[in-house]
Amino acid sequence: MGKGKKRKQAEALQAAAAAKKAQSSAPIRPARTLTGWRDAEEGMEAEAEAQVPFRNREKVLVTCSRRINFRYRHLMLNLVSLLPHSKKDSKVESKETKAATLNDLIDLRSCSSCLFFECRKAKDLYLWMVKSPGGPSVKFLVNAVHTMEELKLTGNHLKGSRPLLSFSTNFDDSPHWKLLKEMFTQIFGTPKEHRKSKPFHDHVFVFSIVDDHVWFRNYQISVPHNETDKIDKGGLDKMTLIEVGPRFCLNPIKIFGGSFGGPTLYENPFYVSPNQIRALEKKKKASKYVTKVKAKTRRKIHEMENALVPDEFADLWKED
Amino acid sequence: MVNLKVDDITDKEIENEESEPELEPESESEDGEEKPSTEPSKDAIYNSEALLEKLEDIAWPKKIDWTQKLTINHQQAEKIDVNDDLARELAFYTQALDSTRVALSKFEKLGMPFLRPQDYYAEMVKSDSHMLKIKDKLLFEKKKIEEAEERRKMRENKKIAKQVQAEKLREREKRKKDEIESVKKWRKQREREGFVKGEKGNEVFGFEDGEDEVYDKVRKKRPGVAPGDRSGGKNKGKSKARERRDSKFGFGGRKALKKQNTAETTNDFRGFNKGEMGGNKKRKRF
Repeated sequence: MGKGKKRKQAEALQAAAAAKKAQSSAPIRPARTLTGWRDAEEGMEAEAEAQVPFRNREKVLVTCSRRINFRYRHLMLNLVSLLPHSKKDSKVESKETKAATLNDLIDLRSCSSCLFFECRKAKDLYLWMVKSPGGPSVKFLVNAVHTMEELKLTGNHLKGSRPLLSFSTNFDDSPHWKLLKEMFTQIFGTPKEHRKSKPFHDHVFVFSIVDDHVWFRNYQISVPHNETDKIDKGGLDKMTLIEVGPRFCLNPIKIFGGSFGGPTLYENPFYVSPNQIRALEKKKKASKYVTKVKAKTRRKIHEMENALVPDEFADLWKED
Repeated sequence: MVNLKVDDITDKEIENEESEPELEPESESEDGEEKPSTEPSKDAIYNSEALLEKLEDIAWPKKIDWTQKLTINHQQAEKIDVNDDLARELAFYTQALDSTRVALSKFEKLGMPFLRPQDYYAEMVKSDSHMLKIKDKLLFEKKKIEEAEERRKMRENKKIAKQVQAEKLREREKRKKDEIESVKKWRKQREREGFVKGEKGNEVFGFEDGEDEVYDKVRKKRPGVAPGDRSGGKNKGKSKARERRDSKFGFGGRKALKKQNTAETTNDFRGFNKGEMGGNKKRKRF
């Protein structure tokens, strides 16, 4: 498997170099698939597929940084239980050389992608979604976290059953959303014949883009049924979805070309870091006092400049 | 005005045509407060070529089975207001529901099992103890709602009952007054007519025919105090057990009264032994 990865990397570099040389006027580029090079002819492709049928070998490494909040830790544990093809690792020291350590870790555990939960100031959670060697990586800011332990989320489903993935069509609007959709499909979808996967499909993941954020929901499918592969006529109408959790909202910050670094491919123009928001709030509150003081001095100056005419009746009631 | 700073401005190709559609002012749903500037940073990097390239790199082959991916696309309805929680959750729910319907129909066509049979027991993602907690919470909430409903109903009933009660009281007063009036009138009438005697030489009273239900009802509901009772009407009456014990073990006040020679005590044969088994059994007992 290692050899396969090296081959992929080398080929990717080759392809990139070739593309750069050829500038924008190089429409025909031999497309790469997981199994080999595919030319424009259909015959080769069929051959390639017939030889090696596609097998999803995705493995996700799930780790977090130190000083992570309890709520975010529970979120991470929830995700580990939702993804049977994931491997949980111990906490990673943050600070410098983060990228190198993590890349090494992914390689060591022989995983093909990674979900890294980075918690800053015990308040903000950043999620890195990374495809290993040479894959793109995305950094998200995570909001609105509700874990599975909340009592209002009453659904339940088999542990390890393969989820249905539902995407809203605005994932096909722009290239960066398309890339994100592909990454979600690969990381959040359970491989088909995975050892720990269960045969039935009783839950659905919902990814939708609202207001330039990606919202994640997980629902249990409950249908009154008697057979495993048929529903009665009225059954589809009686289908209900019960939320299982967890729930979170992802705000994409940046997309990088390499794993945990590399050239920036996309930056979110609307992203404001939580630190900046907090700083602005403080400034607003501070400015209240400053403006008051300024107003007072202004008033004093005004009074001094326009002295009052002494009142005739000022001493009218004064007693001697 | 505070301008947004961009962290690293690595100069790649900036595709302006692509970033145009992004330039709608966005409402930060995180804090819900004024953003510093409504214009986004114009020099955000957007390298769509490289993005598509990367997409090609990582994508799975296009001709694989749908069952490997299990993705369904759903057309979103019109603009969803992020801050309206209910609308947003509803939108997600409908998306999930529609997608599931599509997926289920696909599975049926493929003939693959997708619904869990009732006897398939396996590890669930939430433990049984957790589900019990959830059940408790749900029952508790249901009970709360029911209690609130009951309390409201009681309040309503009380209001109505109070009205009805007031009406009844008023009616009773009226009847009482009427009856007293009628007696007075009758007396006056008799005076005027000089106390005529009816048959049998008895005075004719108007209330012997049993039309006096009110009087009887009142008597029945509030049994009068026993003549021998010196408590002044304050005793509510005792249970049979209490009375039995009192009479057996002695209880000063009441017992003393029993020594009186009243109508009750004359006919009271409790003290005399009725069934003396030692005597002649052939004799009849009364």
